[in-house]
Amino acid sequence: MEDNLAASQRSATHATKTGYSAEVSQEIADVCADAGISLVATLPDDWIASTIATFEQDDRFNHVPVNREESALGLCSGAFLSGTGSAALMGASGLMTLVYAITKINYTYEIPIFIMITQRGTFDDGAKFHVSNGLYLEDVINSIDMPYTIVESRDQIPMIGEAYHHSRKISRATVAVLPKKLLQGKI
Amino acid sequence: MKYDEAVAYIASRWTDELVITSAGTSSEIWYAETGDTERVFYLEASMSLSSVFACGLAEGVPDKPVWVFSGDGAFCMNPGMLQVERQMNLPNLTHFMVSNRVYGSTSNVPLPGRIDNDYPAIARGFGIERVYSFGSMNELTATFDEAVMEEGHTFIHLEVDPMDYRGASPPMDGPEVKFRFGRYVEKATGKQVFSAPLDNG
Repeated sequence: MEDNLAASQRSATHATKTGYSAEVSQEIADVCADAGISLVATLPDDWIASTIATFEQDDRFNHVPVNREESALGLCSGAFLSGTGSAALMGASGLMTLVYAITKINYTYEIPIFIMITQRGTFDDGAKFHVSNGLYLEDVINSIDMPYTIVESRDQIPMIGEAYHHSRKISRATVAVLPKKLLQGKI
Repeated sequence: MKYDEAVAYIASRWTDELVITSAGTSSEIWYAETGDTERVFYLEASMSLSSVFACGLAEGVPDKPVWVFSGDGAFCMNPGMLQVERQMNLPNLTHFMVSNRVYGSTSNVPLPGRIDNDYPAIARGFGIERVYSFGSMNELTATFDEAVMEEGHTFIHLEVDPMDYRGASPPMDGPEVKFRFGRYVEKATGKQVFSAPLDNG
């Protein structure tokens, strides 16, 4: 069986072939590293396969692929208590599963967590099964008062670092939302 | 094996390990046994996430042993927690999974697959190498040093009887648990957890 690195490289190659930008992924990783993030827990989404591969292959990060989104939240919350900067990267659908865990762990104990998600369900999303994200994602985020920012273009990628630091400042969850065209390097 | 006797024995062997307890009974019994409010994170809102929470902690403090408790109710909700543990393979992490075949914190409602769940086999199936299973106090006490005090990521299955325990939660709100534990980690490890440093002067 191929090792983790080879598997990650194969995934990155596929992501590039399907139109996702390795350069944007690298810019996201650079901003995360500069912000002090060293642990990244991920769950996949087609749109962020390249970004996940970048974290896996970058020695500045301890990348941990997890079994479900709630585990990413648990892992990053524990990491906070060791003084380790962390981020959870996942699809929009993953965030939709996290309301209970965020409110129970992060709100009860006031533990900050920073989450990056895809902006699924937008007009440029060809997947019909993401319609629900288009309809409800922002409403769900707002329903538990999570500050979030949509990274509208490459020159706004530094806002990812600001969103991370904001989570530490307010001891709550914050979210950076990554549009498809950003991840493709088109905006 | 009696749940409270097993926890009391483990607490009696506790030295400098950081401890994470999970929802309900393990938090209540550990607090009743130790009264500690500094070196334990009582993750009462854990809902199957105590062991991955402990992974995040243990990864950042590699010189500090970390003990974490979970129950088989949590395990049934999230057995993939062991995939994450195996992936990280943290030598300073010991996971005590207390199995009583019921959701003990919610009136002992029976678990799915109750009798047939073979937790040590599941752990080995995920590739975990150091797996122990204790069904009696004699087994636990006789093998504790090998299972717990030796280094290496370890999964320990404790088979206990259901009990009707309903103790008090540790008398702290969430932020107090966070600050007490986090400040202890800072003092014990030198790592900075909070943005405002503790003034020890």
